[in-house]
Amino acid sequence: MGNSSSIQAADASGFTQSRSLSRSFFGAAALALVIILPGCATYSSGFAKVEQAAAVRDLDGAVKTLDELKLTGADEALHHLNKGTLLRLQGNYAESNKHFDIAKELADKLNAISVSEQLASVSVNDTMKAYEGLPSEQLMLYSFKALNYLQMSDVDAAAVEARQFDIKQSQIAKQNADAKYLSGAFVRYLNAMVYEAAGERDSARIELQKALDGYKKQNSGFPVPASLTADLARIKAGKPAPSEVVFILQNGLGPSLHEATVRIANPNPQNGSSLLSLAVPKLAKRSVPVARIELSAGSAVASAEVVEDVNDIAEKSLNDRLPGITARAVARMVVKNAAVGETKKRSNELGAFGLLANIAMDVGSAVSERADTRTWSLLPGVINMARLPLPAGKHDITATYYSESGAVLATRVFKDIEIKPGRKAFVSDYYLNPPAQAKAPQ
Amino acid sequence: MLVKNTFAVLMTVAATLILSGCATEVKRIGVEEVKDLSGNWNDTDSRLVSEEMIRDSLSSGWIDRHMKKTGKEPTVIVGNVRNLSHEHINTRTFIADLERAFVNSGRVDVVASKTEREGIREERADMDTHASEKTRKAAGKETGADFMLIGTINTIIDAEGGQQIRFYQIDLTLISTADNRKLWTGQKKLKKDVKAAKFR
Repeated sequence: MGNSSSIQAADASGFTQSRSLSRSFFGAAALALVIILPGCATYSSGFAKVEQAAAVRDLDGAVKTLDELKLTGADEALHHLNKGTLLRLQGNYAESNKHFDIAKELADKLNAISVSEQLASVSVNDTMKAYEGLPSEQLMLYSFKALNYLQMSDVDAAAVEARQFDIKQSQIAKQNADAKYLSGAFVRYLNAMVYEAAGERDSARIELQKALDGYKKQNSGFPVPASLTADLARIKAGKPAPSEVVFILQNGLGPSLHEATVRIANPNPQNGSSLLSLAVPKLAKRSVPVARIELSAGSAVASAEVVEDVNDIAEKSLNDRLPGITARAVARMVVKNAAVGETKKRSNELGAFGLLANIAMDVGSAVSERADTRTWSLLPGVINMARLPLPAGKHDITATYYSESGAVLATRVFKDIEIKPGRKAFVSDYYLNPPAQAKAPQ
Repeated sequence: MLVKNTFAVLMTVAATLILSGCATEVKRIGVEEVKDLSGNWNDTDSRLVSEEMIRDSLSSGWIDRHMKKTGKEPTVIVGNVRNLSHEHINTRTFIADLERAFVNSGRVDVVASKTEREGIREERADMDTHASEKTRKAAGKETGADFMLIGTINTIIDAEGGQQIRFYQIDLTLISTADNRKLWTGQKKLKKDVKAAKFR
């Protein structure tokens, strides 16, 4: 008898423990949803203010707004990519490179697999994974860093970036064998200029050839830059580089990613979620404002060519990633549906608290389904380059931007640009659509 | 009861683990202690290479030849060491290490670099106005260098997946400022095998 009562007591105690643990579990789940959901607002929605400030050339305001977004943790690399870009547009090249360096280190570190993040991406959503930058963005980073160094007249440091790029690009090309758009043609074209300035003419020739092959292979809908072919012919003929101004325009903004959500009523809601949700990113291209650029100094005039189409690369990149993204979204739908089904099954045991947990899980499973819309939003839509040969000395350079209809959008004057004999002086600028136009996706 | 206790213990351990990661930890280490973190060129590489190369330079016979010819110790200036590698290497610390190794050897005189000289000339010009006549230093009495040490740091990197073999080659050359003759060339090679973590 004594034994029997002892056993009963143990059972009763076990039931209490189980009930208490169930409550703890559901309490924790409800708490997790409360914590996760505020962070579920898509990245692109929070970033619009930064872009609007940059569009009206309020770069101080754009930096301040970006800092207020407090992108830390999983979004840290993204913050540094965008901050580095804004500081570059401000002409604060040294600080810009500090942020690009951090982004680069994070990308290398995040290349290692995190099991917990992989699990979270198939159970909550893809934004739970740390953002390391898309392969195309990681390649572009090298060109921005090199340009920053060139604009600080540090050719040797720019050459370090060029050497690092060569290793990175070959690794990325190996991992994405079919992705011809990852040839890094523009960066190689730029790197050829860097190598020639550093006195490494053989490396310059090799880079020009690789850039030419890359442009042909990636077939981005714009011709191979004529200035590149001319450079290759000159260097093969053993002729020295002329003194010139190389002008780079970051033209418009690259595409932003929006969320496309499919929600359908579950045919079997008693054993799972009421709604089945699936969210994937959708590309929203933005118009490229400047159709023609004229660069002049006195009577010398040159026009610009397209050297990189970020819009095109982003589109091809998303198309490549979409099957994987969709597969993960479907896997998440199954996992969440099963979890909600389990909650519903157990909610009867828990009375009013169970009902609350039931509702929280059902709503949470649908609301937590968000697409990963993170992207290096401040990349330009298109990069244009104009090269103007000029005698050594100081020059005032004028850049005039024209729209598709031929209207003058802006005229910018860069004073006292110093060109050394046989050297290149790098000048860069950006132009964005006014906020009202910038907001409307094409 | 047992479950409750186990749960409490687990929570305490988890909290301890989490909180212990919050405080910044600083531990002083000796400057000669070797700590390879990223596999990049670091202070140990800079110090070991400079010491070894200068030792090689001092024992190669050019000092004795110079002393025999002129009866004076040679005067050297450490010029630029160009970074032609894959890494952003702070060559200023390497140049400082080279200068230190030369000065401490006691066998050669080392003169100030171009930027240092500019600062000293400014100071000398300032003395003309503000220093007493007794302590004032006259211009035009600088020691010109007999030899200039210049060099390059090159790398070859072979990468596959998360593994990199990094090969560094440091070349230094001592050139006569009078007639551009190369009196000594030194070379030092380093090789590192760097493996990136697969998981984090």
